[in-house]
Amino acid sequence: MATADPFDAALDLLRRLPPSSTQKNLNGIISLQPDLEEDLLSSVDVALTSKRCVTSGRDYLCCDYNRDGNSYRSPWSNEFDPPIEPDDAAEVTPQGRVRRMEEALNCAVDIYRELYYEGGTSSAYLWPLDEGFAGCVLFKKSASQGSGGKGGWDSIHVLEVSEAATKRSADYKLTSTVILDLGLQSAAVDNLELAGNLTRQTQQKCPLNGMRDNEIEQSHVVNIGRMVEDMETRMRNLLQEVYFGKAKDVVGDLRSIQPLSEAERDRAAHQEVINKMGR
Amino acid sequence: MGSKEATVASFIESAPPGEVDIKALASNQPSLLQSLDPAFKKYNEEQYVTVKLPGGSEAVLLSEYNSLGEGRYHDTASQTSFEVDHASQKASNTQQHPLEGQHSDLIKSLLRSFASASAEHFPSSTIGIYATQSDSAVALVLVANKYSPQNFWNGRWRSTYLLDPSSNSLSGTVKVDVHYYEDGNVRMSTSKKLELSGASNADGIVREIAKAENKFQEELNRAFTNLAEGSFKALRRPLPVTRQKVEWEKIGGYRVRKDLKNLNSSGD
Repeated sequence: MATADPFDAALDLLRRLPPSSTQKNLNGIISLQPDLEEDLLSSVDVALTSKRCVTSGRDYLCCDYNRDGNSYRSPWSNEFDPPIEPDDAAEVTPQGRVRRMEEALNCAVDIYRELYYEGGTSSAYLWPLDEGFAGCVLFKKSASQGSGGKGGWDSIHVLEVSEAATKRSADYKLTSTVILDLGLQSAAVDNLELAGNLTRQTQQKCPLNGMRDNEIEQSHVVNIGRMVEDMETRMRNLLQEVYFGKAKDVVGDLRSIQPLSEAERDRAAHQEVINKMGR
Repeated sequence: MGSKEATVASFIESAPPGEVDIKALASNQPSLLQSLDPAFKKYNEEQYVTVKLPGGSEAVLLSEYNSLGEGRYHDTASQTSFEVDHASQKASNTQQHPLEGQHSDLIKSLLRSFASASAEHFPSSTIGIYATQSDSAVALVLVANKYSPQNFWNGRWRSTYLLDPSSNSLSGTVKVDVHYYEDGNVRMSTSKKLELSGASNADGIVREIAKAENKFQEELNRAFTNLAEGSFKALRRPLPVTRQKVEWEKIGGYRVRKDLKNLNSSGD
């Protein structure tokens, strides 16, 4: 530990402590190592919060990428709430091409959200880079306590886009985290909590169609949307496997419902049948 | 304890099964280590951490029920007491500790019955049977660990029962924790209170425990299914209502369908 990088050590610790208390543990680590605050806030994903846009009345999601101090930028109005200094705003508010793509991407993921989530909240934020642009696409959905338990899904997709000089194609680097929190309270099990997060990365080169600016911009929205959709579908399958397959298997490895001597007899009998057939 | 120590102590207490790397935390910080001793003790006793006695081969668990105070614990099976260094989870300084008291015969027969009954369901486990401090009850404790770091999985099952020898009724708790950490951090935790009665001797008591734990495990398996079919499905669909992936080129065209969807939202 003495030689380990404090930042890596902090990430490793957060990877092991209960994911349901990530926010609390993150604050604890920052109180121990204040120097790590900015780096940790931009690399540790915590459950998203939402805010209502004062201009449009629509909800949007808050993350480190639309934050300036204690203010958050609404993707619907492109304004910070509470307002920030005009000089600062000019620096951190996307304009022109990036803002046009951001607006189109917000419209597109809003429809995607309705199709897959049938509710919830979505937001997308873009910002310019020297060669291309970067962005994030966020979804949040909660399920209230019912016979099937309660739950919360937060997905955080961070992307980096570099455009070929010809503008005929672009490279997309996507890092996606899904925070999935499930809980069940019943007389049969008293209390079952399944909470956590998984992160996966992918990189892809996609063509950009059309010659005009608006066609290329639309092409980016299509490429980003498709990548996010594929990643979410992949991660949903993975979450299903980890939460309901593997977790259950580990419980079965710890304790066998069938008496082990009986299981051993079954195995021996099975082996005998195989041996007989082999003769 | 200062707030920094309290923060680190909270990290230790909530560490997943088999993953408290105490040496890493301890190096070059003897004073911090010392101030954290209560946190390590609490973790070791709550998680039923096992230690090997010097010269012995069997693991012995640590719990509040076999604590003698001053860092010493006792083991009824080998009738020894020993000292524990909580930070390194090492035992030393063993002494004879004869099994005495009004429940010693019951404890002896429970040690036999509980060990063989547990071996029928747990491929690997450690048990302990102890009289509680006032001798008013007998504690039955079990811990089973499965560490699979090469697959990024760890799991722990803990059973705790207090037996009232006058009525042979038991009240207890089963706790199961699972941790998965391959490119992520997923924790399953569950706890279930159990009340058991109707047994007349040691064999009957452990039979009731096995029966109740079987039922709990079946219910837990059902709970997994309920969550998968219930709230998980309600959060995000595997495919849109249209049963087709999104046509991103024509995303504007969905606006109409979105309105239509409300008309046939019963269709899945």
